[in-house]
Amino acid sequence: MKHNCEKARSLAHRYIDGEMAWYSRVRLEWHLHRCPACGEGIVFERRLKQRVHDGCREEMPIVVYERLRAALRECARGDDPAR
Amino acid sequence: MADPATFEEDVAPLLPQLYSAARRLTRNPADSEDLLQETLLRAYRGYRTFKAGTNLRAWLYRILTNTFINRYRQQSRQPAEVELGELEDLYLYRRLGQESGASRSAEEEALERFVDEDVKAAVESLPEVFRIPVLLADVEDFSYKEIARIMEVPIGTVMSRLHRGRKALEKALWEINERRGTVDSSS
Repeated sequence: MKHNCEKARSLAHRYIDGEMAWYSRVRLEWHLHRCPACGEGIVFERRLKQRVHDGCREEMPIVVYERLRAALRECARGDDPAR
Repeated sequence: MADPATFEEDVAPLLPQLYSAARRLTRNPADSEDLLQETLLRAYRGYRTFKAGTNLRAWLYRILTNTFINRYRQQSRQPAEVELGELEDLYLYRRLGQESGASRSAEEEALERFVDEDVKAAVESLPEVFRIPVLLADVEDFSYKEIARIMEVPIGTVMSRLHRGRKALEKALWEINERRGTVDSSS
C-alpha cells in the first residue's frame, strides 16, 4: 500500500508519542525516507512537543510547598480538617 | 493496599509536578493551591484503595483531574465538545513555512521565538476537554493508556482529543505569532 503524505501527516502525533504498532511505524518510516517534506514536518512536531513540555513547567513557590507539606502531615496525623 | 502511614513520604516528591499541572488547569496560583490541597485530602482518604507498587503518579493525576472537573466545570460552563472547525495536520509548520518562503530552518527559528509565556498562554487558551489530554501527554509524558485511565475514557477518545487539541494549540501559537508580527511591524 502506498503511504501517501496525507496519511503520514495524520499519523505524526502517534508517531512522535511512540504509540504505533511496529508494522505501522515501519511503513511510515519508509515513507519518511522517501519524502523529506513529511520528514521535516514530523521533526517540527517533535520539537514543538518538546517546546510545550519545557515551556509549561512552573516553579513551585517554597511557601506553597511548605503549606502543602503541612497539609500532608495533617492528613497523616488524622487531623482531617474536613471532619 | 497502600499504607496511609507512608502517604506523606510517598506523595511529597510528586508535589512540584502536580503543582505545575494544577497551574495550567486552573490558570492561577490561588486556585491551583486550593485544587492541590483538595486533591491531597481526597488522595489520603482513598489511599487504602490504592494498590501499592502500581502507578502512584497516574493515580494522583486522576484524582487531580477529577477534582478539577468537579470543582471548576460549573464555573467555567464550557461545552463538553468544542467546535474547532477542521484544522489541517501540521498546522503551525505549514503556516510558518508559508510565511517565511523557502528557507529551510525558518520554521525552527520561528519556534525558538516563542517564550515560555507564549506556550503557557496557548495551552491555557484550550478548552479543558483538550487542555487535559495535551497536558498529560506533552507536559507530564503519560502514555495513551495511562491518559485513558486518568480521564476514564476509551483510548480512541484520548487519541482524537489529543490530535485535535494539539492542532488547536498550534492555531493558538500561530495567532500569538501573528499578533507579535503586527506589533513588531507597527512599532
